[in-house]
Amino acid sequence: MQLILQLVLDGIVHGCALGLIAMTFSYIYVTTGIFHVAHAGILTLGGYLAWYFTGVGVPFPVAVAIAVAGSAAVGVLIQKGVYEPLMKRRSTPLVQLIASIGIVAVIQNLLAIVFSPNVLQFEMLPWRKSSLHLGSLDISYPQLLTVIVSLVAALGLLLFSSRTALGRRARAVASNRSFAEIARLRPYDVYVYVVAIGAGLVAIPGIFLGVDQALQPYSSLGLLLTAVIAMIAGGVGSLPGAFLVALVLGVLQNLVLAMVPGRWSQALTFAIFITFILMRPTGLFRIRMQRAS
Amino acid sequence: MMKRIRIRLMAAGMATILPLALWSGNAAAQAKEIVLGAMLPLTGSAAQIGLEEQNGIQFATDKVNAAGGIRGYKIRIVYEDTQGKPDLGVLAFNRLVDLHQVSGIFTAYSSVTLATAPLATRKKVFVLNPAAQTSKLATASPYLVNTISLAKDEVSIIAKYAAEKLGKKAAVYYDSGSVGIDLRDEFKTAFLAAGGTIVADEAVEFGNTNLRPTLLKIAAAKPDFVFMAATTGPGVTGDQISQIPDYPTAIGTSFFAPFKNYPVTVYHTLVKSSVTGETEKEFNAKFKTPDMAFFSREYANASQIMFKVIDYLLEKGRPVTGENLRTALFEVKTFDTPNGKISFDTNTARREVEIHKLTPAGRTVVEKIAH
Amino acid sequence: MALSTNFLVGIIGIFSVSQAALMGVGAYAYAGVAMAGMPFPVALLAAVTLCALLNTVTSLPALRLAGDYFVITSFGLQFIATAVFVNWVQVTGGSTGIAAIPAPRMLGISFEEPQYFVILSSLALALASLAYTLLMRSSYGRVLHAVRLNELAAGAAGRNVLKMKLGVSAVSGIYAGLAGALYAIFMSYIDPSSFEIQQSIVILTMLVIGGARTLAGSLIGPLLLLAIPQVLSLVHIAPELLGPTRALVFGALLVVFMLWRPQGIAGRKI
Repeated sequence: MQLILQLVLDGIVHGCALGLIAMTFSYIYVTTGIFHVAHAGILTLGGYLAWYFTGVGVPFPVAVAIAVAGSAAVGVLIQKGVYEPLMKRRSTPLVQLIASIGIVAVIQNLLAIVFSPNVLQFEMLPWRKSSLHLGSLDISYPQLLTVIVSLVAALGLLLFSSRTALGRRARAVASNRSFAEIARLRPYDVYVYVVAIGAGLVAIPGIFLGVDQALQPYSSLGLLLTAVIAMIAGGVGSLPGAFLVALVLGVLQNLVLAMVPGRWSQALTFAIFITFILMRPTGLFRIRMQRAS
Repeated sequence: MMKRIRIRLMAAGMATILPLALWSGNAAAQAKEIVLGAMLPLTGSAAQIGLEEQNGIQFATDKVNAAGGIRGYKIRIVYEDTQGKPDLGVLAFNRLVDLHQVSGIFTAYSSVTLATAPLATRKKVFVLNPAAQTSKLATASPYLVNTISLAKDEVSIIAKYAAEKLGKKAAVYYDSGSVGIDLRDEFKTAFLAAGGTIVADEAVEFGNTNLRPTLLKIAAAKPDFVFMAATTGPGVTGDQISQIPDYPTAIGTSFFAPFKNYPVTVYHTLVKSSVTGETEKEFNAKFKTPDMAFFSREYANASQIMFKVIDYLLEKGRPVTGENLRTALFEVKTFDTPNGKISFDTNTARREVEIHKLTPAGRTVVEKIAH
Repeated sequence: MALSTNFLVGIIGIFSVSQAALMGVGAYAYAGVAMAGMPFPVALLAAVTLCALLNTVTSLPALRLAGDYFVITSFGLQFIATAVFVNWVQVTGGSTGIAAIPAPRMLGISFEEPQYFVILSSLALALASLAYTLLMRSSYGRVLHAVRLNELAAGAAGRNVLKMKLGVSAVSGIYAGLAGALYAIFMSYIDPSSFEIQQSIVILTMLVIGGARTLAGSLIGPLLLLAIPQVLSLVHIAPELLGPTRALVFGALLVVFMLWRPQGIAGRKI
């Protein structure tokens, strides 16, 4: 029983990080219509930026802020430099997807060249190994921070999307690009904001997973894939749906591990997913926003 | 996939580009040079080890070249990246042999070495393996020579030791790479034979850093000790173990050999691998490393063996071919290395194996076994 | 192999990322049957049939799901296939793989020798290309193009779109099975890592750079991509940075191609 509870707790932590990845991916995907695989690259980038700045003596919270800003800037670069020209030329989603795959390769390998392909740890933060005891359960400080920061960021994104003028403009653009153009909502400016916000926020799980576990240049694609599954199962376009399903997936992956040998757990998750998607292609929650173009 | 054709076509394409590209650089260097190949995992999840290996080879090579080469011949190494994948390994092997015409190759990584072993036999290329340990390598090819002990030997030593000293209830923690799985199977066989039982058997994906769930399951099975057969950054594993209450004593082979600050007591075998203090200092200065890592040592030492064999052939005036390299190795048979004398009765070197005990206080050698 | 994906992506507009998994099935089927002592044609037939069947069945979701969902489903299939390759040890040998897969012997010639293997695979490629060209020129091929451009119209014109799509999946499966078997023969060693998701992406990239929907594209792409490491090895780079640099160029090329020539070198618009 104690094992199960601890597994659920770890699953929640992992699920929160996953949830923020799923939500930001969903936000970008729904608004721009781009299957933004390069999101995985930015996730990794955020962690490395924070590692670098903490390493040169910047206080950790400041380093986090720099990493978030830096990731957002790279997001803008990708949107302006690659996606926008592709969109303006009305290239097919496949072309955009392949360009995105190319960007992931560029980011990951640049990181490997600059920081070495080795596993890196936040050695300079001694508190990362301490943990909080809740009865018989353990939660490490980085895990605790992951939960809190992810929840705050997710809530922030939700409020932004529904309550602010810019957020509403983004949703208008998402639902109909050509109409938005006519209505002078300047969709291309909106895309830049949306990608920047998504990129900045996805740096957060990148950083805290890095503090808690370790940084590796090549490991983020698997995380993104699970997040994308959460997005689809949650209903494309539903931000809370993406987050909630990611949370469930995180717990499920851990629990599955308690029942079956670890080597089958990933395949099992995907098998459940495929069956699910065949039976209910619209996801758990109804679609609120249609895919752009 | 019709890779063969592509290679041919590519070779044809290269034939037109190559002379242009090599015009300036290579004309002078062509004079007296022996080219060797190395196929290492330079990118991907095993890149860390691959780079240590590359440094080891490059260190030994630069040193021999600085001293004027081998009987006037400079050594040049062509590195090919395999990412630890057998198909890329086969392509790398073909490139080295067909394009660069090497007759000797350093290999790494069990699956890559196994996949290319039939090619070594077919094309008569001498392959030196200083790192891959899967037991199948003992008989994979007559042209493949292992300068490290294979997994089977190390596993049987540690399994026997653990059954005698630590208890009869074992858990196994391994990664899903081929070495991890082989080690698990070999450990199970050896430990059951020694009268023990296996109470848990858990895998992590290779390259995954979220190890907690798996570690929790191991601890919950309450074994006397756990056999660790995973390399995913010893630091990462250590950190996460330190957050698991009552994690058992760990045992392992060289495959799992943490260096310091481990949260639980570790017993592991290690093929005795030394370099002189002087060499290590030189190495650290050159590559700006804190210490000369295990694989750097092994590849530097294996390079010495390769050079010695080449020297022997040149001395006798025989051409440096794969076939001759192989014959010469068994003619020389015994090599002086920083690890003492290494001799080859079979394709696998006989090395001294130590059992180390590592506690937070430090490292001690508890047993030395020659096998 | 690129030929097989070209068939799916270019012709019918289904984008599948599980081609490497399918090819893996072909390779394992060939290895299994050939290792059991069966003659070469039987093993080849087994590989091809199994792949055609499997591809037809797993393509069924594509008919229910829209493009992006299908991408994810095929990602999932790829992961499941890898797990099966790794874990079904009795058949696949697990992560250790299967070594020493026999090459065919016919008319007293062993195709193990590289020069004979070239003949064998050239022959297979020529046959596959010929079949591809014939198929595309036939009325069937023209209908396929019509399906890709406008599914509704094709359906309205009295064509059974579902049947056409399933047919394409089967043919594509045959190509993948053939590729898998040849791969197993050439390597003489197979293991799960050769059929992982990265491999699927490389295959797709080859196709994209060469150009989709044309035969020339399926042949030029692989050639060019495999030549990149060769050209790079002529430039002087610090050895420890070599690997990542290659991969970096690879990724940058993808982006550049998408920006300036998304149809690839020899292709038509995708």
